[in-house]
Amino acid sequence: MSNLIVNGREIPLDKEGYLRNLNDWSRDTALQLASAEDIELTDEHWQIIELLQGFYREFELSPAMRPLVKYIAQHLGAEKGRSIYLMQLFPPSPAKVASKIAGLPKPTHCL
Amino acid sequence: MTLHIVSKSPYTSSALKECLGAFASGDALLLIEDGTYVLRHPALETLQSAEIYCLEADAAARGQQQLAATMDRVEMINDARWVQLCTEHQPIVSWFR
Amino acid sequence: MSIKSLALCRTAPYGNALAREGIEAVLAAAAMDQAVDLLFLGDGVFQLLDHQSPADIGQKSLRRNLQALPMFGIEQFFVCEKSLAEREITLEQIQVAGAETKTVKDTGSLIASYPTVLSF
Repeated sequence: MSNLIVNGREIPLDKEGYLRNLNDWSRDTALQLASAEDIELTDEHWQIIELLQGFYREFELSPAMRPLVKYIAQHLGAEKGRSIYLMQLFPPSPAKVASKIAGLPKPTHCL
Repeated sequence: MTLHIVSKSPYTSSALKECLGAFASGDALLLIEDGTYVLRHPALETLQSAEIYCLEADAAARGQQQLAATMDRVEMINDARWVQLCTEHQPIVSWFR
Repeated sequence: MSIKSLALCRTAPYGNALAREGIEAVLAAAAMDQAVDLLFLGDGVFQLLDHQSPADIGQKSLRRNLQALPMFGIEQFFVCEKSLAEREITLEQIQVAGAETKTVKDTGSLIASYPTVLSF
């Protein structure tokens, strides 16, 4: 995967398209990462992205599906804390796709 | 009943000490590799009623075979018997460091 | 019903990779819905100690990873009472939000109650 150019600056990606440096993340970076996944970011997406980044700050790891669902249910309620909801926002593999757009490493406990 | 396998010397590692701390009655102890030096260690006395096994080839390699021969309560075993012990015990806990 | 395993956590967090590998294995199993219980024993109790700040030695906080375990459905930790006492660690220093810390006197019986035990 080639690197991203965001606002004239080159941002290195790993071979699967995840940011190499978390510090390179910005909202503009996220927009580009999302468009590479054919996802147009809405407020619902941003809400999940921010929570995911909160998860990473708290636990220093990118969550697999199950812990992500649980964490979102705790913060946003049972309506959004469901895999089907995340699947609609970040198809086809919400934990991986959302982590990528949020600038986090690939979840290590995901097959 | 648990089969505890100790593979480190009691003089450099906490393996034996921690194993004995987690020993339930009815459990068995198997000494392999540098764990065969446990044969000369006084802590073995604390296991009065437990079954104790020792891999003969590993003990012999380290010059522990004569000492082992004087210890009635230690059964010297080969690899086939080791496999058999593994089928007879559950769980098996490896104290490898 | 899945078979429940016990992970024995015996090593201090940063001196070698074992503690890290142990929690990685537990997290991977939990993500696959395989239930694992943890027993912290010997120097392994240091993994739970609060205020770990390993950034300057280039490592991630193992304690923070342990704090994620409730999110993975692991809501209790067993801790060897004697190992805590030997190291003068109090229960307050090893609390993890969302998980119950259970001190164990008879670690032998606890171990014997599992069909499979992994050691780290």
